[in-house]
Amino acid sequence: MIAPSIIKDLARIVGKENILADLKDLLAYSYDATMRQEMPDVIVFPRNTEHVSAIMKLAHREKIAVVPRGAGTNLSGGTIPVKGGIVLEISRMNRILEINTADRRAVVEPGVINLDLQNALAPLGYFYPPDPASQKTSTMGGNIGENAGGPLCLRYGVTSKYVFGMEVVLADGEVINIGDYVEDFPGYDLRGLFIGSEGMLGIATKLILHIIPKPEASRTMLAIFDRLEDCSQAVSDIIGAGIVPGAIELLDQKMCQVIEQSVKAGYPTDAAGILLIEVAGLANALEKQVQEISQFCQKNNARELRIAQTNAERDAIWAGRRGAFGSVARICPPYIVCDGTVPRDKLPAALHKVGEIAEKYKVLIVNVAHAGDGNLHPLILFDVNKPEEHETAKKAGDDILDACIAMGGTISGEHGIGLEKMNAMRHMFDPSDMAAMRRVKHVFDPDDIFNPGKMFPPEAEAVLPKEKGAAR
Amino acid sequence: MDNTVSQEKQAFYQKLGEIAGTSNVLTGEKATACYTVDGITPQAIVHPASTEQVANIVRAANESRITLVPWGSGSKQQIGPCLEAADTMLCLGNMNQIVELDASNFSVQVQAGIVNGELQKQLAEKNLFFPLDPLYMETSTIGGEIATNSSGPRQFMYSTVRDLVLGVTVVSPTGDIIHTGGKTMKNVAGIDLCRMYIGSWGTLGVITEAVLRLFPLPEASAGLYITFNDAEDAFRMVGQLLNSPLTPSAIEFLDSVAGHSVAETLGSGLNDGDALLIVNAEGTRGDVARHCQDVSALAKTNKAKTIMALEDEKAFPAWMAYRGVQGAMLGANHSIVQGKAAVPISKLGDMVQQVKKISASHSVKIGLTAHCGNGILYTYLAEEHEALLRITDELKRAAASLNGFFLIELAPLSVRKEIDILPPRNDYPLMRRLKAEFDPNNILNRGRLVGGLG
Ligand SMILES: Cc1cc2nc3c(=O)[nH]c(=O)nc-3n(C[C@H](O)[C@H](O)[C@H](O)COP(=O)(O)OP(=O)(O)OC[C@H]3O[C@@H](n4cnc5c(N)ncnc54)[C@H](O)[C@@H]3O)c2cc1C
Repeated sequence: MIAPSIIKDLARIVGKENILADLKDLLAYSYDATMRQEMPDVIVFPRNTEHVSAIMKLAHREKIAVVPRGAGTNLSGGTIPVKGGIVLEISRMNRILEINTADRRAVVEPGVINLDLQNALAPLGYFYPPDPASQKTSTMGGNIGENAGGPLCLRYGVTSKYVFGMEVVLADGEVINIGDYVEDFPGYDLRGLFIGSEGMLGIATKLILHIIPKPEASRTMLAIFDRLEDCSQAVSDIIGAGIVPGAIELLDQKMCQVIEQSVKAGYPTDAAGILLIEVAGLANALEKQVQEISQFCQKNNARELRIAQTNAERDAIWAGRRGAFGSVARICPPYIVCDGTVPRDKLPAALHKVGEIAEKYKVLIVNVAHAGDGNLHPLILFDVNKPEEHETAKKAGDDILDACIAMGGTISGEHGIGLEKMNAMRHMFDPSDMAAMRRVKHVFDPDDIFNPGKMFPPEAEAVLPKEKGAAR
Repeated sequence: MDNTVSQEKQAFYQKLGEIAGTSNVLTGEKATACYTVDGITPQAIVHPASTEQVANIVRAANESRITLVPWGSGSKQQIGPCLEAADTMLCLGNMNQIVELDASNFSVQVQAGIVNGELQKQLAEKNLFFPLDPLYMETSTIGGEIATNSSGPRQFMYSTVRDLVLGVTVVSPTGDIIHTGGKTMKNVAGIDLCRMYIGSWGTLGVITEAVLRLFPLPEASAGLYITFNDAEDAFRMVGQLLNSPLTPSAIEFLDSVAGHSVAETLGSGLNDGDALLIVNAEGTRGDVARHCQDVSALAKTNKAKTIMALEDEKAFPAWMAYRGVQGAMLGANHSIVQGKAAVPISKLGDMVQQVKKISASHSVKIGLTAHCGNGILYTYLAEEHEALLRITDELKRAAASLNGFFLIELAPLSVRKEIDILPPRNDYPLMRRLKAEFDPNNILNRGRLVGGLG
């Protein structure tokens, strides 16, 4: 518990209207899209960089934990205040400061919602490629915190490729600028270190983003398969042939059934799996891609291939995919989302393994995947009232991650480690790797003020860097 | 010489032989003279054969406080802030193998000492390529390119090293082996250390292996060589091209000073003040044909003087001439200064104007090349010391006034010692702390990069 005087000090910084400390509010900020709950002491909503800096100076002086928070949609427990303290919500810093198409840049505050930026860019004929399925609610700050991906990232790359510079407030309140508006800044890539650092290194208060012109044309296809193996093999074949569509998303039968219950996307409910494929580029070159992709689908026994003829049809196809997690939540709120990622050609083997694990533990798993990148999202469902079911689901999840590692993959493609995948870190990294990560944390945040208790498993926390450097 | 070397150092050089084999260790002025950097001649050169050997060497060096300089092919050793100490050069040239080529995942794991051009040859046999094309790629090593964050014209389509390297294995300054990243296209497990090492100029660790992202060789390619009477026309065209849905793989600008050798290869010439634009396209036949057509049309509406569209291999001689421009500009002239400006993409034309003004006011010839899609401009000039200092100062101010920066890459030692090489930034203190944390005894590339951080 922090002293009441601190809450007063915070109110002095941001104003009473930008602070919450009632029990019901604290409860509302005690969880995120994951299944854990811990109480914060206070929630503050800074309006500008000066606010953030002043809050950090106070927190630094008093050694109070600070959890940066966007929309709280992360799926790894990244915004749960495990050590209490201050939840610093950046949602009210949500102005788009500049859009400069001639420079291919947008400058935004971190509270800007991903889709709001897209909507501002679209009329100019530009877009910001990273498009997490949560783009209607998730913030740019949160996207950077987790290095978010999305369907279009297959062709265009993830968040880290599109954030050129940032204004960042450090643990002691110092404000620095990392990266740049222009390219090829000198010195270490602090920007690269910061992206995906899950709120553990600092708070981004301004973002310089790279935007690009929209492709001239695009086509969206829905390929329907009677066997999941065929479905994933088709992905492997398309990617293996060197074709890079805008996106390839895979959904299995149970996923389609669940989605159709809440979003009318027009997915078949009797097929083993479907692929949503979008190709984009110059109009005259698209047809060839569509044909090649069709051929690979046919070769892998696709039952049917639909090509969206209208924008409405295209939007329906995508609405289903974007609504995937939400639809599952509607029928079964508690579920574990795995985010294991495998080398691209291992997708069929990985999905097969997921099936075996579901069988072994007798758990219900529904699958959706950013298939072109080998990024799986098996959702493991369980009954929240049966603790043993939760345990079994967790075990199944761990097995899936281990299987991904064994195939040369990783435990997280885009959702981050947070609390959820903390223990799996040990399976991925040697103590020396983890010690190096902790050194970075130590340089940025020697007092462990930012988002403490995340990412590093407890044992690794004990293993301090061998040789102390000269942090300030 | 030898009697000035402390016993501890002697013991270290002995140890080098034990670790890497005596035949892979060179000592003595004769053997080490050609490794002189910034006036410092190392005492020993070692060629390790594996990551483990590198780790053993670095650990021993750290214990004995021996300063090390990781060495790929040496092509970038003269760039940036000056070295302050170099007891031993750690040469990675013998670590030049492909560890694993995973064609179906479009990735390759290589040892850091493999030469880019050599790697490309082996990849081409499998119809693949690695889209990193810095100017010296025929001789530069992949490890060196990663360490210096080098990229070339193709970065406009494929992005830079930072997005093309999936993982690196590094030996830390204390001798620990650190694995970062992996083989997957997406990976957010933990802090992204891979990115920290990319562009760290060998000051935070020795890169010993890397996993690279590959692409299938394009079906077709073309180069459009377009000349203008006026650079302004060229940059207007670039602006329109960038604002179109076209996706060229490179957009390169050369002024008449830098461009004449390319023009000669094309069988034409450039008058004083002319500009040459090269637009490359690659992809499917359909993509390339469309680019040839649309780019030519754009060029015409922007008062192009000549337009030459060269398909596939036909573009090769001119492209090689372009790639040779930097070498030609530097020539044998060690007093040439190579600078780099980074400005907002739309301000590149303005920067070129400013350079021309500076060039005129000092009556000095300045050669220019640019990656137009990335806002990067290279300047080449030769002048005597005092004038040089004044000119660089003006170039810095010009770039800053456009919201960018200008820095010196190559310059005579006397110049590099006297000027601030890197532009001012407010994140240098954090960078210095990072260096101190990872390399507490400052044994790796002492002085380099962070040494110059304001
Ligand atoms: C239905 C649904 C679909 C999803 N689909 C995708 C998807 O397709 N791709 C994908 O990648 N993710 C997806 N996610 C996960 C989640 O939406 C992303 O991780 C998103 O980027 C989080 O944004 P947020 O604003 O909710 O951040 P939060 O959850 O509030 O925070 C995420 C992390 O970032 C840190 N952080 C927040 N703001 C800042 C800041 N300003 N400075 C520094 N650190 C900060 C936090 O401390 C935390 O560690 C999905 C989630 C849901 C619920």
